[in-house]
Amino acid sequence: MTNLLALIQNETLKVWKKKRFAVVVLILLILIPVFVYAQMKVAQNSADKFRTDWRAELQSRITDNTNALSSDRIPEEWKQWRKALVQQLQYYLDHDINPESPNGVTFTRRFMDNAVSLFIPLMVLAIASDLVSSERATGTIKMLLTRPVRRWRILFSKLATLTLYVSLILVTTIALCYLISGLVFGYGGWGEPVFVGFRVQGADVDTSNVHAVTQGVYLLMQAGLIWFAAMVVAVIGLMVSVLVRSTAASFVTMMATIISGTILANMASSWKSAKYLFNVNLELSAYLRGTPPPVEGMSLGFSLAVLAIWGVASVIVSFAVFTKQDILN
Amino acid sequence: MKSSSVLWRTLGIASLVCLLAMLTGFGWAIKDTWFPKEGLALPKASEPEKAAGGDWSAKSELYVAALGDSLTKGTGDATGEGYVARTIASLAERLDKPVYLVNNMAVNGMRADQLAVNLDEKGFVNAVGRADIVLLTIGGNDLFQVAQGGGSLAEGGDLSPEALRELLPDVKPRLKEVFDKIRAVNPVARIVYVGLYNAFYDVPQMREVASETVAEWNGYAYRLALADGNATVVPTYDLFEFNLTDYLSSDHFHPNALGYERIAARVADALR
Repeated sequence: MTNLLALIQNETLKVWKKKRFAVVVLILLILIPVFVYAQMKVAQNSADKFRTDWRAELQSRITDNTNALSSDRIPEEWKQWRKALVQQLQYYLDHDINPESPNGVTFTRRFMDNAVSLFIPLMVLAIASDLVSSERATGTIKMLLTRPVRRWRILFSKLATLTLYVSLILVTTIALCYLISGLVFGYGGWGEPVFVGFRVQGADVDTSNVHAVTQGVYLLMQAGLIWFAAMVVAVIGLMVSVLVRSTAASFVTMMATIISGTILANMASSWKSAKYLFNVNLELSAYLRGTPPPVEGMSLGFSLAVLAIWGVASVIVSFAVFTKQDILN
Repeated sequence: MKSSSVLWRTLGIASLVCLLAMLTGFGWAIKDTWFPKEGLALPKASEPEKAAGGDWSAKSELYVAALGDSLTKGTGDATGEGYVARTIASLAERLDKPVYLVNNMAVNGMRADQLAVNLDEKGFVNAVGRADIVLLTIGGNDLFQVAQGGGSLAEGGDLSPEALRELLPDVKPRLKEVFDKIRAVNPVARIVYVGLYNAFYDVPQMREVASETVAEWNGYAYRLALADGNATVVPTYDLFEFNLTDYLSSDHFHPNALGYERIAARVADALR
């Protein structure tokens, strides 16, 4: 057991000293202010138009989406999406709750919603993709494997390290996002109510289970779901890193998969079996928010199951290959 | 070696705490989705503002709400302004005070019966209640969409004069309902109903019957306005008779930018 802990310590420090985590933080520090600035501009614009009357702004969003519904150029599945959105916004309006209360927590919530499909996977892969392949590239894998340690223990320590870093990345992202956006939008908003429990069935939204939670609780639940999706991306990345010899190749493979997932999610509604691909299921936080899933019939349980199967399979493949693999070169 | 053991301790503990937080969130999300319990009680939001009424010259700013169909939406106007934005701009200039649009809630294809239902919704009640002036166009779709029977509008071919004549008595009560509901929501606002015009004036077989229908409809709207006391009907039919195509957009139904400008000038005149 102490042996395993020492291995994890070794791996964790290796990742740290290779400045992988520093790069992630640097990217966040550069990008978040950009998004905050953009959001500030949007907020200023709507303050000019609606004079801080959020009800008018909300009604305007409802009207705009209703108008878009009558357009013949919009594909049917987008209309369903809009119809569901209109019903949700109407629900907020009917209960006199502002869905976009201007504060740091709301910004963070929105940012994480948008980050789950590309941004978070990208940062997770910055660490996952070279966990094994970099050892090969630098040749250190021979030293690692010639020590009197079972191979599965080495891979397990890498997996544990990965889990720790994925958690750290998510919390860091949320914390930085909140701290930076708070400068502009204010640090309040933890207690603001958010509605959860919308069930989307086709174009209809079932509101019988809708209840309000505080934005703080919402952020925690959202982070938990995103963490799960990020973990699955991470273990699949680890598997690719075991299978492919170069870091660049494994990173590009994974990113291509993730990006194609977001494209597919936008157009897959006619290709039903796409819902069994892991990259179409990554947007777990959408279930919390209550936006219609990319393919009809997907639910939180379904997506979690698909992701879990992909994750477990990747772990099995990783261990099977890593423990048997011949180290050449 | 010492520094790296300190680093490991901080890093290990910090990331372990993060991991536990994430697991908590994950568990909570699952519990909340599958076994939802009663949510927290909703806080009482501040009441939306209401229009005060009284003399406009005494007010430092005016609020306008716009509702109705594609005409209020501004469909056909390449500049996207429609008559609403133009009316507001010229009204602000003439009154020399800021005039704000609370909301333009017009939806393409809206019929009077749909609008009457919408007027029960909170968003409409808020906006109409806030307004000093309510701009309204409605009825065109009730009359011409149904009479058109889904055929091509530009041709005017499937538009049957008989159907139009029969429709009128059915559609009239809808307009009354809309007027009544607006008045119930906001007892003080000036209601401006922008009258219908005959987009088929240049279609010989349609000219007479459509013009008659439009005239009767506008007359009915005028009677409603008169009964209300604080409402105006702005006529537009004379604007779209001669050189009709100069003022209609390419769909031959909605006005173009020039057409909207002429409507806006009328509305602003009527308000000042």
